[in-house]
Amino acid sequence: MPVRKHSQHMKLFKNKGKDETTLRRQRVEVSIELRKAKKDEQILKRRNISVHVKEENPSLGQDRADEIIQPSLEEIVEAVNGDDTELQLLATQATRRLLSRHRDPPINQIIELGIIPRMVEFLGHADNAALQFEAAWALTNIASGTSEHTRAVVEGGAIPAFICLLSSPHMHISEQSVWALGNIAGDGPLYRDALIARDVIPPLLALVSPATPVGFLRNITWTLSNLCRNKNPCPPLDAVKKILPVLTFLLQHEDKEVISDSCWAVSYLTDSCNDRIQVVVDTGILPRLVELMDSPDVNIVTPALRAVGNVVTGTDQQTQEAIDAGVLTVLPRLLRHMKPVIQKEAAWTLSNIAAGPCQQIQQIITCGLLPPLVELLSKGDFKAQKEAVWVVANFTTGGTVDQVVELVRSGVLKPLLNLLLAKDSKTILTILETISKLFLAAEKLGETEKLCLLIEELDGLEKIEDLQNHENDVVYRAALDIIEKYFSGEENTDLEPQTGQDGLYDFSVEKQDFNF
Amino acid sequence: TAVASLQALFQCDHVQYTLVPVSGWQELETAFLEHKDQFKYFVLINCGANVDLLEILQPEEDTFFFVCDSHRPINVVNVYNDTQIKLLVKQDDDLDVPAYDDIFRDEEDEEEDSENESDGSEPLEKRRRFEEEVIERTMKRRQRREWEARRREILFDYEQYEYHGTSSAMVMFDLAWIMSKDLNDMLWWAIVGLTDQWVQDKITQMKYVTDIGILQRHVSRHNHRNEDEENSLSIDCMRIAFEYDLRLALYQHWSLYESLCNTSYTSARFKLWSVQGQKRLQEFLADMGLPLKQVKQKFNSMDVSLKENLQEMIEESANKFGMKDLRVQTFSIHFGFKNKFSASDIVYATTSLMENIEKEGPETTNFIKALDSLSRGNLDKLHQGLDLAKKQLRAIQQTVASCICTNLVISQGPFLYCSLMEGTPDVKLFSKPVSLCLLSKYLLKSFVCSTKNKRCKLLPLVMAAPMDVEQGTVIVVGIPPETESSDKKNFFGRAFEKAAESTNSRTLHNHFEMSIIELKTEDRSKFLDALISLLS
Repeated sequence: MPVRKHSQHMKLFKNKGKDETTLRRQRVEVSIELRKAKKDEQILKRRNISVHVKEENPSLGQDRADEIIQPSLEEIVEAVNGDDTELQLLATQATRRLLSRHRDPPINQIIELGIIPRMVEFLGHADNAALQFEAAWALTNIASGTSEHTRAVVEGGAIPAFICLLSSPHMHISEQSVWALGNIAGDGPLYRDALIARDVIPPLLALVSPATPVGFLRNITWTLSNLCRNKNPCPPLDAVKKILPVLTFLLQHEDKEVISDSCWAVSYLTDSCNDRIQVVVDTGILPRLVELMDSPDVNIVTPALRAVGNVVTGTDQQTQEAIDAGVLTVLPRLLRHMKPVIQKEAAWTLSNIAAGPCQQIQQIITCGLLPPLVELLSKGDFKAQKEAVWVVANFTTGGTVDQVVELVRSGVLKPLLNLLLAKDSKTILTILETISKLFLAAEKLGETEKLCLLIEELDGLEKIEDLQNHENDVVYRAALDIIEKYFSGEENTDLEPQTGQDGLYDFSVEKQDFNF
Repeated sequence: TAVASLQALFQCDHVQYTLVPVSGWQELETAFLEHKDQFKYFVLINCGANVDLLEILQPEEDTFFFVCDSHRPINVVNVYNDTQIKLLVKQDDDLDVPAYDDIFRDEEDEEEDSENESDGSEPLEKRRRFEEEVIERTMKRRQRREWEARRREILFDYEQYEYHGTSSAMVMFDLAWIMSKDLNDMLWWAIVGLTDQWVQDKITQMKYVTDIGILQRHVSRHNHRNEDEENSLSIDCMRIAFEYDLRLALYQHWSLYESLCNTSYTSARFKLWSVQGQKRLQEFLADMGLPLKQVKQKFNSMDVSLKENLQEMIEESANKFGMKDLRVQTFSIHFGFKNKFSASDIVYATTSLMENIEKEGPETTNFIKALDSLSRGNLDKLHQGLDLAKKQLRAIQQTVASCICTNLVISQGPFLYCSLMEGTPDVKLFSKPVSLCLLSKYLLKSFVCSTKNKRCKLLPLVMAAPMDVEQGTVIVVGIPPETESSDKKNFFGRAFEKAAESTNSRTLHNHFEMSIIELKTEDRSKFLDALISLLS
């Protein structure tokens, strides 16, 4: 369009559909607002508060009958340290409000006021539930920040005070304490174990009953999961043993969040040495976990799969318990899950089962895992494909010759060879090692040439040859090794014409007569 | 006419372009699909403003649309899209577009709500407790509901009535003027564009007079030299003149008598469909003192002496017969020794060419012919158009007369309804939208003059005509009431939509005018019933 800009006439062509006058009106309104905001800011500065002290949502404030008056930080300090309980409450409440607004809670500034010990003190005012609650909430939010923030709360002496409040007759206070303790436990193994040493577990577990409201139960479950979380070191054994029966109970709950967080707790506990895995397996929750792996809710599938996946990293016996619980019947669906992360985790789980004895490998075949595995290899998410390559590698390492034949028959070669084009050297190397293992199996059957043909037919030879130019030296040598061992010598050229027989390859996967 | 102006502009700047005439949304979509890979810039003339273009055309992000279209209201998405859609609109057009914040909302708020929906990620290590989460969320939700209700209301008000803004030809002329590339030809096309809106009753009298005023200033700017004898231009040059002329259709190329009979304004007021009416016409002619023989022969061949004061004579007699505004402000064009056309002549000729039902090649031939007729070099096409226009006006007049004489206009309560039967003479002509609209408007004017029912005089009209017998479809058009103070705003577009929706009638909203639809003949009665109950 040859529309040249042409002085004031351009205004005739409104590109935004707003004409000059409305545009101008808007601009004026905006600038008035800006000026107003600036003025407010100045007033705040005089009060020595940086920004946004008012409720962030002004319309919310208007809707409320009683307009909230926010005291200054100095006023807060004065009131909190004073003797007037009325003022103490108001100031604590004001602090809590500052700390619970959505944007930029002034945690640092509140800590600098030095009022945390005083707030902790308020936790002990059993005669003033309102004050206890406000202080608990404020401290919860301070502890929700960085490690430094959490430390300020702990060093203010909050741990025993909160543990004490778990048994408060007021449910909202004990719930708030559960939340605060969760934040402290979530900081890391140090505070987690400090809480456990202070015997946080018995009163916490005592809160769980069939009558506990769901919202409360969610908080408890989450705090429990934080008590199970983190390694180096992992939580003390006797603490875990106390928590596990309750987790088993919570896993039966109908609330999705409760189930999800319980599963996460179990997944933390199984992410450990075999002894710890055994402790979990002994509770007999594997069948329930496998059941939850099949849930339609990703928030449940993920941690349940993680937990079971951790279990099969354990001993053959522990893995067998997972198989007995039915993990192999659920995995095909998860290998085809719409979320790539789930596919990946499922393949990882399967790779660890494939690393087991050949009886377990046989169960993989029997449970029909080869077709979904081939599917995943050929069109899954790349991270999932990498895990699937591991399944094949472990399978060929531990499987019997018959089992390996079965694997090749299921069509695994084509996608496996295609993955030689991947950018990841580690994966390429794993595939090359797998190919070498396949040749070892073929040699035992005297079917080396047939395997050569099959690989050639699937354009695998070409890819392996290309890998001799790979920048990674190990890859280059592995590729060269295979070429030299199996694809050099004249017999290959002699064989080539035979491949056209019947228009089909003698040893093609489809014909089912490929038995090396 | 806007197209002609744009072509001249493109020519001026040596811009290469492809011109594709489209008659409806379907054709627009097809044309776009055919050209979208080849072109990135599209200029839509007289179409596209009143629907969400991005929605219906699904263009790539590097495709741009320049829309010059008088259809109102402009779709709000088109208004507020400032990247791909560029609207060419006159600043003083009263658009009343709803404020952005009232109809669009940033999706931020919603994100916050869906934040809780994690995708299986690990629980947070620490969680802050927010201020009254529940209250805040319910407040937000309530506010959102209120906002949405208000948005629906605002959009309903905004989209309820269909009407027309400044003619695209005038907007094009303005564009040319701004770029200092305006030619007298473009000015003439702008005049024709405006006159078309007036002839087709698309704009108010007020808007017509205002725009005439604007164009008159340009006319005197472009044509002033003619008054100066010394610099007078060659007779071959084109000259535009402003004048008060008789609103008698095509009279200078017809006979005065034929024109009086076939102009809606006079025929409706005389009530020419009745014997009484014919008598009144005779009395009128007698009053003017014109011999019948002179009146009935070609206007060109009339006695020059009679023609001298003809306008004043006719106006005087017309005043006596209650026709106070037989003369109107308009323009005419002169070139060569004998070529004089009034703006309305061109309008009638061009629209008739556009809807010529005698097929002469593909659908677009009509458009190209009509476009050609606008340029001075194509007098033969223009004359062909004038002949077609006479045929069309006669057909309209005869159909109006027969509809009124056989009481085909029925009051349905909230509106009048008239349906043309298959087999009615000239029914094929009225399967075309502009012809049908003209017929509807002439019929409604005549009906208002003929009926004694005062309530009926205030009603809008819905008219149906057979469209495609083989496919069993009718074309339906709705027009606003014919009152003195009519704002020419049309609510039938939305009403048709709703009525079709509620009855699952098989309709096709293919025309750029929302108040024209195609409908399966079998669905007509349920559609009408729904329309009646909707508007009652």
